[in-house]
Amino acid sequence: MNKMKNLMNGKMVPKLLLAVILLLVPLLFQNFNYGLLICGFIAVYVIAISGLDLVFGYCGQISMGHAAFFAIGAYGSAIMHKYLHIPALLTMIIASVAAALIGALLAYPASKLVFHFLSLATVAFGEIVYQLAAQSPGGITGNFTGFYTESINLFGFQINTNTRFYYFALVCVVIFLSAKHRLVHSREGRAFLAIRENAHAADGMGINVRKYKVMAFATSAFYTAIAGGMYVHFVKFISPETVSNKQSVMFLTMLLFGGTSSLAGPVLGAASVLLLNEGLRFAERYQMLIYGVLLLAAILLMPGGIYGVIQKGQQKLRRVK
Amino acid sequence: MLIQVLISGLVIGCVYGLIALGYSLIYKASGLMSFAQGDMLTLGAFLGYMFYGQLKLPFVVSLVCVMLCMFGLGQLLERGIIRVLLKNNVLPVYIVLATIAISYIIQNAAMMIWGTQTLTFPPIFGSSLVELFGVKVQPEAIFCIIMSVICMLFLHVFMKYTRFGTAMRAAAMDPTAARACGINTSFSTGVTWGLSAGVAALGGMLLGPIYGVFTMLGAIIGRKGFSSAVIGGFGNMYGAMLGGILLGLIETGTSAYVSSAYKDMISYSILLIFLFVKPTGIFNEQAITE
Repeated sequence: MNKMKNLMNGKMVPKLLLAVILLLVPLLFQNFNYGLLICGFIAVYVIAISGLDLVFGYCGQISMGHAAFFAIGAYGSAIMHKYLHIPALLTMIIASVAAALIGALLAYPASKLVFHFLSLATVAFGEIVYQLAAQSPGGITGNFTGFYTESINLFGFQINTNTRFYYFALVCVVIFLSAKHRLVHSREGRAFLAIRENAHAADGMGINVRKYKVMAFATSAFYTAIAGGMYVHFVKFISPETVSNKQSVMFLTMLLFGGTSSLAGPVLGAASVLLLNEGLRFAERYQMLIYGVLLLAAILLMPGGIYGVIQKGQQKLRRVK
Repeated sequence: MLIQVLISGLVIGCVYGLIALGYSLIYKASGLMSFAQGDMLTLGAFLGYMFYGQLKLPFVVSLVCVMLCMFGLGQLLERGIIRVLLKNNVLPVYIVLATIAISYIIQNAAMMIWGTQTLTFPPIFGSSLVELFGVKVQPEAIFCIIMSVICMLFLHVFMKYTRFGTAMRAAAMDPTAARACGINTSFSTGVTWGLSAGVAALGGMLLGPIYGVFTMLGAIIGRKGFSSAVIGGFGNMYGAMLGGILLGLIETGTSAYVSSAYKDMISYSILLIFLFVKPTGIFNEQAITE
């Protein structure tokens, strides 16, 4: 009944419209497989960036080594699938749980570090994981050549085309974004916000700062590792290049570009940066230069990201009304 | 073999130390962290190549030119970007990201101007080798070690015994109080950024003849510099140099006697261990924990 009322008020209309458009994307791109591929990547990155948003946007803790969790998810899943013959979806989850545990192990001692030194610790962690992927003991990760794997087999149903992956990723995005929505509006989410605003005050209110920082880090690692697992079974290949520190910086750029601490920010950020990357393919040689200039411009001129700009615009419109 | 390892360890260690000196200076003066130091080193090496290799100026003249250019660039960065961000009251992460963006811009601009291949920096002392403890070494290696030590001593004297250095330390300790005493804090912060860019450029000029000049020269050194700074105690100048030298020796020692594959992993592991176990570093610099 309530929902019907909402529908009448027009509150649900944009959401329903969005759902219909998202479901129809494969039809729109019927003769444009490449577009669907990009959409798949956007979905993967949305999950990764949403994870980063939990720890950075909500809990206020910087991570400059999130590509490491992406790597643990991707390599972990692919290696377990190849050597232990566990179905791919299960390996993704096991690898992500492992990533969450590693994230907690890292966050426990790191939680006492202040901002700048936390960023150094995460940079170092990212580099260590990168080095392990590039020069692994016994060459288990395929070192610099990379590692090939298979697509996900969902009870006999192969997720091996772009359309199938798109729907699979869409389901994942919906699951993870609603989980994030619930988390940030729960007791834990409010604790995260309190720590971000003032860790000392949060401590004074009886919030166990270290516990919640570890929790935020572990959840965030889980999200990013799931994205890594999705990536590796979508592309069917992973190499150290994908998990270098450039990737970590790209995660942060996407998040800041889109806007932090919101559901829409990571989506906008992942989509805009990926589309921009594709649009600038002709200038691939200068890609990093353009990238750097854009990042700098965004930081200087648009500190709230795209979502912040949209929100400001809406506020102005409301005031005019 | 041992002496060879020691010398090459000292050379790279001194350069790590120079980079770490820059981090310490910036951190002391403004409580900020720059991720562009490594690329300042790259740029210094390229400018050195231009002045010394192409324009054929004497080495000392080109060194002075390069350091002046980089000093100006460092100040420009502080004025043009860092200060604007600080004035906008943004989160500290934006400043860190801004310096990362600057580092990408420098890397790619260098690639556009000088190309992707490794350039040979002409030797400073002719091409003959010097014999030291029965081992033949490049004279530039010895020069690099000596210059780094001189640079550190100079900076120490400058910061500790000159009027301006005292003003800079005061500005770092408590900007408001320093301003009340009539110290021009904005000027001193600018000079700090300029100085650290100049020191990085010196590192580039010293490393150029030994390693050659290429666009990614400073990228890894910049990150290793963080390890050195943390080992010594972030913000401490002797610590920066000592940390750099220790790291250089450990690294070259590992790659000579164990395996070069684990060289990088070991230096980052050391960084993590120090951050978690002894974040104040060897010199117990109290600036790091909450």
